[in-house]
Amino acid sequence: MAEAGPETVLVRKTVLSHGAGLWRFIPALVAAAATLWFAQFIGPVSHGDIPEYVASWVPQLGISFAFRLDGLALAFALLICGIGAMVFLYASAYFRSDRRLLSLQLSLMAFAVSMVGLTTADDAITLFIFWEGTTVTSFLLIGFDHEKEKSRRAAIQALIITGAGGLALFAGLLVMGSLVGSFRLSEMNLAGDVIRASPLYPVIFTLVILGCFTKSAQWPFHFWLPGAMAAPTPVSAYLHSATMVKAGVFLMARFTPALSGTDLWTWTLVPVGAFTMILASVWAMRQTDLKLMLAFTTVMGLSMMTMLLGIGGPYAVAAAMTFLLVHAFYKAGLFLSVGMIEKGSGSRDYTEISGLARAMPHTATVVMLAALSMAGMIPFFGFIGKELIYESTAHAHFAPQAVTAAAILANALMFACSGMVAIRPFFFRPRACPKDKPADPGWALWLGPTILAALGLLCGLFPSAVEHVLVAPMVQAVAGEGLPGHLALWHGPGLPLYLSLATFALGFVLYLLLDAIHTGLAAAEPKLPRTESWYDGFMRGLGKVARRTSVLVQNGNMTSYLRRTFLALAAVIWIALLAGTASWPGFRLSVEAIDWAIFTIITASIVVVLRTASRLTGITALGGIGSGIAIIFVIYGATDVAMTQLFVEILVVIFMAIAMVRLPRTGGVPFVPLNAVVAGILGVAVSVTLLMVLGTGLDLSLTEFFEENSAPVALGHNIVNVILVDFRGLDTMGETAVIAIAAIAAYAVLMAGRKRARGGE
Amino acid sequence: MLGQDLSVIAPELVLALYAMGALMWGAYAGRDASRMILWVSTGVLVAVGLWVGVHAGGTQTAFDGSFVSDGYARFAKVMVLFGAAATLALSADFLSRNELMKFEYPVLIVLATVGMLIMVSAADLIVLYLGLELQSLALYVVAAFRRDSLRSTEAGLKYFVLGALSSGLLLYGASLTYGFSGTTMFAGIAMVAGGGEPMSVGLVFGLVFLIAGMAFKISAVPFHMWTPDVYEGSPTPVTAFFSTAPKVAAAAMLARVLFDAFGNAVADWQQVLALLSLFSMFLGSFAAIGQTNIKRLMAYSSIGHMGYALLGLAAGTQEGAQSLLIYLAIYVTMNVGVFAFILNMRRDGQQVTDIASLGLYSRVDPARAAALAVLMFSLAGIPPLVGFFGKFYVLKAAVDAGLVWLAVAGVVASVIGAYYYLRIVYLMYFGQEVEPLDGRMPSIHWGLLGASALAMVLGIINLFGVESLAASAAATLVQ
Repeated sequence: MAEAGPETVLVRKTVLSHGAGLWRFIPALVAAAATLWFAQFIGPVSHGDIPEYVASWVPQLGISFAFRLDGLALAFALLICGIGAMVFLYASAYFRSDRRLLSLQLSLMAFAVSMVGLTTADDAITLFIFWEGTTVTSFLLIGFDHEKEKSRRAAIQALIITGAGGLALFAGLLVMGSLVGSFRLSEMNLAGDVIRASPLYPVIFTLVILGCFTKSAQWPFHFWLPGAMAAPTPVSAYLHSATMVKAGVFLMARFTPALSGTDLWTWTLVPVGAFTMILASVWAMRQTDLKLMLAFTTVMGLSMMTMLLGIGGPYAVAAAMTFLLVHAFYKAGLFLSVGMIEKGSGSRDYTEISGLARAMPHTATVVMLAALSMAGMIPFFGFIGKELIYESTAHAHFAPQAVTAAAILANALMFACSGMVAIRPFFFRPRACPKDKPADPGWALWLGPTILAALGLLCGLFPSAVEHVLVAPMVQAVAGEGLPGHLALWHGPGLPLYLSLATFALGFVLYLLLDAIHTGLAAAEPKLPRTESWYDGFMRGLGKVARRTSVLVQNGNMTSYLRRTFLALAAVIWIALLAGTASWPGFRLSVEAIDWAIFTIITASIVVVLRTASRLTGITALGGIGSGIAIIFVIYGATDVAMTQLFVEILVVIFMAIAMVRLPRTGGVPFVPLNAVVAGILGVAVSVTLLMVLGTGLDLSLTEFFEENSAPVALGHNIVNVILVDFRGLDTMGETAVIAIAAIAAYAVLMAGRKRARGGE
Repeated sequence: MLGQDLSVIAPELVLALYAMGALMWGAYAGRDASRMILWVSTGVLVAVGLWVGVHAGGTQTAFDGSFVSDGYARFAKVMVLFGAAATLALSADFLSRNELMKFEYPVLIVLATVGMLIMVSAADLIVLYLGLELQSLALYVVAAFRRDSLRSTEAGLKYFVLGALSSGLLLYGASLTYGFSGTTMFAGIAMVAGGGEPMSVGLVFGLVFLIAGMAFKISAVPFHMWTPDVYEGSPTPVTAFFSTAPKVAAAAMLARVLFDAFGNAVADWQQVLALLSLFSMFLGSFAAIGQTNIKRLMAYSSIGHMGYALLGLAAGTQEGAQSLLIYLAIYVTMNVGVFAFILNMRRDGQQVTDIASLGLYSRVDPARAAALAVLMFSLAGIPPLVGFFGKFYVLKAAVDAGLVWLAVAGVVASVIGAYYYLRIVYLMYFGQEVEPLDGRMPSIHWGLLGASALAMVLGIINLFGVESLAASAAATLVQ
């Protein structure tokens, strides 16, 4: 029995992974069904008939569970579910014999739901909740191989960066909602003029854009995306190319009516987009790992969209939306294809594989189709996207020449990259690759990428269909007006066409120079500043500063706690004193000798209390202070109060002396100048306050009441006595009882101490 | 007249009489009855909580208006009573295990609770001080309850000295306020303070000292010094108690003083509270990063959370008061769950408080790890868990009151704060494997941990109706 154990487990595992084969297609089927469900809205939405769903959630805060399926939301929903179906199918084959498939599928499903929720939400809080949902599921998915240090690091990095951005977004939404008076996105978008005119606009803009830039990997937050390639290939294809990273772009598009059109918007989005675009496409040339190279080109694609949205206007929006679709098709297709290359040949590094076209013809075809779209070749969808980009950059209000030049350079680099992906692994002389017999993978793996790559071609051939179904409603939703002109493959000769030709030429040259560029970049890499090292430095510094702060603030030393508390209090008082409107007390130095005598007694006593090494002396000196105060009472005619004060002083000295002499000796208190300074600051503050306070009028109603009523009502002439035994007689009785109880307790404690002392002997 | 007064303070009276009875019971029945007394005390606290909770009726006052029982007080009292009951129930197992099961413990907790009930109902500075001292004196003792432990004794001493200092500040403020308004009644102070003309200097200083004294009790920076040391040094059940009921009572009391006595002078205290809130939020989240002891971590967490609660209060509006109450309710619920977990972090029968000992805990006990993970997410304010809504309410109140900068700072602080909550989740699921914790969990702990975690998930539907209750409670406070 015992020997059969492990084998049984092994058999069960095999049964689980292979036998129960059909359930793994469920997610793909669900996603496909969802795609069809969303597809039914294409007709109504393109006619401007926008379905909404609103359920009240927290009405007191004005939060509702609201969804609105306009052109932008619908296009995203279709992309997410459609590509989701292909990716889920792909994942079920990719992780066929892996027992973690179930957890991967569940995380992917949760992600897809969050993503659909995010894009269709019409309530800022609903949107934010789904936004954070994508952050958390993405964290889980990047960290899928959590035994690997690299995965863990990438996962936590992505979580921190996008999570922090998400919270900034939340603050922005909160301020915006408070300003507009509603959390409905559609109402925020209608109130664009109010928002832009508000002095809070820069705050809102900065916070929202931080959320978008972190999510969509714009400089200087871009580095988490290449790191996230630690995720399994289906995850990267889904989250980090087609869907999640587009959430930032989506949000910028969503808020275009509310936030765009200002100088701040243009001057932030266009430079950051353009800079990130070039940076990312240059670094793409540095990579030899195809997946990493694609990750950098993804960053480039996202920044292209950011830049276009920054330019604004129906042309640029149309270009951004078209490019968004173009990019989703070819990038998801390429990512999945890289997974096929890796499965088939055992590597995805182009320096290790070549000449695979013969062994993997199907994969080669798919990659070729997708890469042609990426390169922007005619008659692919990418070409249309590129034409639109040039059309809009050339007419930009913001530095059209510079923007166009940047776009040409980035597109040329992209052209070279697509050449790498399509040519290097498949042509030239076959080489020994890590897998002995490279071959095309099974249908579940190739189906998705094939459809995506085919879509790139079909959309290019039938642009009016895409325009009608997706692009026009998207532009309508974002720009608020219809598509200017029509999507077409051939616009005839014009500026965009010449720019395209220039791009091809430059791209071809770059492709030829690629190895040289690669070597140059590799040599330069260590010398260049990297924002990732800023991030690392920041995180390290944060930990260090945090530890130092807590050691400094919380050192466990009672004296320093007290010192700091006093300092804080003194600061508050001094601020109130200096900032307040109250007048400073006027000093009138007394000429009476007796006042000076009292002053001298009290001051001398204080010095003795502070400086003496003997407790007994200290206590006695403390009595001296009290006696001084008693004399003041005598001078001002309150003899009875003075008597009480003196009695109390004497009693206190005796009691304290009794207690103190029982304590062990500790020697004198060292003089600490800092403490003296702190005590001085606080002491002076309190004294000045007191003088100031005494300078203002005191409420004398009680005094007057007692003066008027003592004799007639209580029949007594000593007001203090009357208050004690008559007006507040009940209180006095209570106090007496308390004192008696305290005396009994004190007696008990003293006796107990004596008994113990005797028992000890 | 007296009968009327007594009926208003009936819950406090019953509890106080019970505490004295229990003391006698313990004194005569000896140590053996301790366990029984603890459970009976828990029951009494729950019963009084239910009683106060279902008690309808509007605002009633007693003793010439120096004690008020309104919707606001009742809301806070229910939180205090249930929080105290829950933490008392949690402590039974720990006390027996560490030979600390003494009848004084539940009696002291009940006495402290009586003090807290008085604090939130006080409409007079003297009554307020009475309640505060009753609470504090009981707490000083329980902080040092483990007399053979140096740390516990030190915690008690520190708490006592700094607490006495804060009482002094409070009294100083109270005397200034009394001197310049001629009354200790909140309603009377409100007539003098604000209301068109600027407050007199004496009143401003009175207010500053009052706030400083109370800021100690809710451990707002820079009056927070005692918190980490006391949280770490006290026996864990005491820490659990400290982080729940007294925090609610002190925050509710602060709100009561500010709105009832100084409600016409919002501008005078708004900036002070905004600063306290800002410092607390940042220090709470910042200093927590470097902690390795989970009790200390929870101390900084409570400092940070009080910062958020003060954020709502700083708004100075009815919405702000409502958000404060909601925040406190959520905070108490979360803390009960977290401490139910911490109390059972044991290895070979020894209590463990090292955070690193949670490494890969999800493999040791997946259910417990999941519950703690939910609570950590909620503490961090990750949507859609209930903790997120707590933050949302206070932030919205601050924004609506025009404190945009403070709200933005609050969000930034919560980013930093999220880091160390998530680190615990990260450790439990992806961390380094360590020698596993093996503490068996008593069913009552499991129940409270599970209920607390479940509440964080299920509460997103309608927050269990707390917000409308809090809204009407806040309405009685801010008129």
